Amino acid sequence: MNKIKISVAVLIAAVTLTLPFSAVYHGAPDIVGSVYSQDNWKTEFEIVCAKTQDPMTLSPDELRMLISRCDQLRTLIDKLDETQRKVYLRRLQMCKDLFSFVLESKENK
Amino acid sequence: MKKAFFLLIVLLVWDGVAFSQTGTKKKRPLPYEYGRVIMNNYSEKAGLAPVVFEHWLHRTKFTCRLCHVDIAFAMKAGTTNIKASDNMNNYYCGTCHNDKMLYGQKRVFGSCSAKTDSSNIRRCERCHSYGKNIKMEESFVQLVEQLPKERFGNGINWEKAESNGSIKPMDFLEGVSIKRQHLAVQKDFSISSKVVGMPDIIFSHKSHTAWNGCELCHPEIFIGVKKGATKYSMVEIFDGKYCGVCHGTVAFPMIDCQRCHTKSIQ
Repeated sequence: MNKIKISVAVLIAAVTLTLPFSAVYHGAPDIVGSVYSQDNWKTEFEIVCAKTQDPMTLSPDELRMLISRCDQLRTLIDKLDETQRKVYLRRLQMCKDLFSFVLESKENK
Repeated sequence: MKKAFFLLIVLLVWDGVAFSQTGTKKKRPLPYEYGRVIMNNYSEKAGLAPVVFEHWLHRTKFTCRLCHVDIAFAMKAGTTNIKASDNMNNYYCGTCHNDKMLYGQKRVFGSCSAKTDSSNIRRCERCHSYGKNIKMEESFVQLVEQLPKERFGNGINWEKAESNGSIKPMDFLEGVSIKRQHLAVQKDFSISSKVVGMPDIIFSHKSHTAWNGCELCHPEIFIGVKKGATKYSMVEIFDGKYCGVCHGTVAFPMIDCQRCHTKSIQ
């Protein structure tokens, strides 16, 4: 019985020790991107801010939705460490400002 | 005697008017100095020389958008507040300057390090070089020889250099930039000149979006999307607002009137 317990403990320890290495391998396809691509909020950020490429084609409802998603993202980015927060809040603000600006111009037409 | 006194008075009044209008004349930067930014938010407090950033060197390699949108450098000098720890965490300058990234065959030297021993001082001084005689690896003179010429600014026609393929500035950095679809180009339009005889401006969205995308200019610099919504004058532009945010600091300066006022007069 003890032998089984020890084996299980060794197995758990081995898996735990190898986990960080596998994370590093998968999380670092390139050196530049490693610090930028670790969290789920990043995926949402990329989806939302990719829409800045052609904002004039978006409808007012789509723009309003994107602005709301920017606000939700802000609460997540606010929790990041100082440097990440500073970088991504500025980037997010630029996206949001562009959407707001296009929305305003469409509504004033 | 009366005539001489009168002339003296006229001269003094003339000088007063002239100086009150122009103030202190700014020294025009030399071609290799044009676009230079001195960063000193924290450097001197940390016992280092301020950082000297050369736009001419970086814009041969990257678009404005890559650094000012994707890496998040502010458009106004001194407002990004970059700390050494930011660079060490691979953000801002440290995004590329990390001793690991390759540009072509060349490894991009690392920026800040926690080690401040004498062996690292040379590395610090590559950027913290203000007031020091540090020789750069890249030669401005050699660069100018290879690129289309321009009368003012850096003496380089960057627009032509980009359009004829002399330079191929990167617009995407894996892991940093957002994967975007192809940019839809808005139509060019004309801006009426307020001075009689001065040709109108043909504003090319295409040449601007190639470097900047949309969000770099709207709404931070130009708050109106509809033509004519943003009202501005040459005085404001010369004061570093609107077009003057870039034209006068990095892009060709406003003294080159014909670069913008291009519409033929009927």
